[in-house]
Amino acid sequence: MSVLAGKRKRQELASSLSATLSNEERVVYNIIRGRKEMGIWQGDIKRETNIPDSLMKKSIKMLLAKTLIKEVVNIQNKSKKVLMAAEFEPSKEITGGEWYTEGKLDTQLIEALSDVCMKLILRQKVSTREGILDWIRKVGTEIFPGGVSAGQVEQILKVLVLENKVQEVNSTGFGDFASVPAGEVCYRLAKKTAVGVKVGAMASFPCGVCPRINACTPDGVISPTNCQYFEKWLDF
Amino acid sequence: MVQQYGIKFALHLINKHFGNVVSKVCENLFRRGLLTLDQLIQYTQLTKDQVKNSLLVLIQHNCVQPFLLDDDDVNNLKVRTQYLALFDNIVHRLRFPKFLETVLLRLDEECVDILDGLLRDGRLTLKQMVDRASQGKENTVTTKVVRESLCKLLTARFVERCPAREPVVSTSFKETTIRKRGVKSAKIFETPKTLEQRVLEAAMPGDAIRFSLTADTVLNVDGEKKSDDVQMNSVEENVVEEEQILWRANFEEFIRHLRHKVLIENVRSQHDDGTATVLSAVLEATKTVEKNVKMENSVPLSLDTITTEVMKTDTGRALTIDRIKASLSQLGCSSSSVVDDLYSIDLKKIIEQARNEDVESIVLKRYGNDAYRMFRLLSKGSSFLDTDKIAACTLVESKKALKFLTQLWNDNYLHMETVPVVTGRRSSDIFWWKVNQPLLWINVLDEMYHAALNLSIKMADEQKKNEEVLNVPKHKLKEPGPLQKEYKRLLNVWLLLGSSLMKLDDALMLFHDF
Repeated sequence: MSVLAGKRKRQELASSLSATLSNEERVVYNIIRGRKEMGIWQGDIKRETNIPDSLMKKSIKMLLAKTLIKEVVNIQNKSKKVLMAAEFEPSKEITGGEWYTEGKLDTQLIEALSDVCMKLILRQKVSTREGILDWIRKVGTEIFPGGVSAGQVEQILKVLVLENKVQEVNSTGFGDFASVPAGEVCYRLAKKTAVGVKVGAMASFPCGVCPRINACTPDGVISPTNCQYFEKWLDF
Repeated sequence: MVQQYGIKFALHLINKHFGNVVSKVCENLFRRGLLTLDQLIQYTQLTKDQVKNSLLVLIQHNCVQPFLLDDDDVNNLKVRTQYLALFDNIVHRLRFPKFLETVLLRLDEECVDILDGLLRDGRLTLKQMVDRASQGKENTVTTKVVRESLCKLLTARFVERCPAREPVVSTSFKETTIRKRGVKSAKIFETPKTLEQRVLEAAMPGDAIRFSLTADTVLNVDGEKKSDDVQMNSVEENVVEEEQILWRANFEEFIRHLRHKVLIENVRSQHDDGTATVLSAVLEATKTVEKNVKMENSVPLSLDTITTEVMKTDTGRALTIDRIKASLSQLGCSSSSVVDDLYSIDLKKIIEQARNEDVESIVLKRYGNDAYRMFRLLSKGSSFLDTDKIAACTLVESKKALKFLTQLWNDNYLHMETVPVVTGRRSSDIFWWKVNQPLLWINVLDEMYHAALNLSIKMADEQKKNEEVLNVPKHKLKEPGPLQKEYKRLLNVWLLLGSSLMKLDDALMLFHDF
């Protein structure tokens, strides 16, 4: 449906429905609808109208029952739900973007997509964003029934680079990179993933990773001679 | 400038090796800077003899350098010796086993014995080395044998002549400028040297004397004549003078060697054996012409020279010129960066990468995976990022992101700025975050010194707590039972603490000496 056609249809719907609403409900509905995909918090509606509190709450309840409006969790403030006309999709600022479901980060989706990317890169030695996307569209529909976007795959790959599991490189067109045109961005396992992430000297014993190191002194309440973490570490 | 735990750790080492009194003198030199003998007596409240003896011990072991400060004041006729504590040399005492291992790998056991003597006693003459080598042996070790080993150590520059007793250092400094000829040039400002650097420079003899065995340098270690005009001394006079020269370990060369080792190993793990071989050949060929240990770039060499050096090595013989070129490219020597057909490798970058890996490893273990991703995002970039942007890029919830970022900032791993934002009637702060690498590394280094101090204290504590077990005769420990079990546990504890300290010392060198 074109944008104009969509707009006309919403206007027709609005005018047919407004005939069935009370005055208060109509006022509240118009305010909510006016905020489109951003929606509005109940407290803000109260500030814009002179409708008494109880009547306003009743109107909102009726509008929800008639499915003219919906409640959306606001990622900026989860305790303040946002009211939105039913026909609008909440903006990214409200939902948090494609990684958020009902105001929560969809960690299951992130983990599943990370897992798929890692396995493909391990199997193919070198993968591109498009290659991974193609595989998901052809074979991975059961794992991702809602599908995934190119942006999501790219973001997951960047996160894997930040986790030092994957390296972003430019293809040379030779050897392992033979299937990827020279110069194109592609991804391979970071060397450290294959041999194991190197643990630095500081990170290999209690003091190096101790959250209390700044409070620790040779003769203090927390000291190396009475430290519980040390005792545990040396308890063979 | 050394941070607080660096000084505490250095003082702990002095205390452990030389006792409380010497440690007190050293502490005052660290806390108050350069001091004369009278000032030290005043501040330490020790007797004159105690202070004098402590200074002699510290000088003997190269932990303090005396010098005369020339303040260009013609009216000031009184020249007073001042004393400078040498932090680096004190901390090097922790890594004597590594220095001995280096000599064992590169030279032989006899050289290790001589070095061991120098490290234990601070400085020795040739005669003292001979006496030491002969102790406990049926036949006296000849001077010739000891001299040969000393020559090997001098050629490798692991041993040097002791510096001048009390060099004169001027108080004034001049801005150093370099002008390019014939080109519109700007004065290039070089950071003025610290007083410590100037004292050490003034004390150090030139290379020709520093690594020369003969007293009046008529013949140097390579057997070349130095000067035809110098009156030849008699052989006896030369021998007498030679035996009076004081020698000591050249810490600089050992640190250079260890730095090269770390550079090569890092390149090996990041790239491959071939590239590590190329770097190793370049560093080996240029080590005697490096101006200082912390060279940012390797000494420029032509491809021909590099190829020749690579092919001298066992592993390098299999490499073709194309393979060598590919390795140089991996090391950052692309065709655009090569000047006058000379290749120079960015060593500073390799060291910085190794430091970043160590810091990231700490962040991962201490703060978790989410914080690790955010820290890596910030350390890869050089500009500020706001909380929401960081959360979006790393797929961490905003509130959680703010919590981790604040923790990192509290512990001085991040730099933070707040920017007030007014939207309508509301005003709020937006937090912007950044990694300030130089400050971060200073902070991490101090934490490392703190951790090293903790390990040392724990080792001493374990020894004290288990003194009884350690004093039990060895034959009783061979009998199975609780005593043997306790002894074995103690050995394991000792091994773990000791090896952790040695591993941590590698990190100390990475952040301070390399």
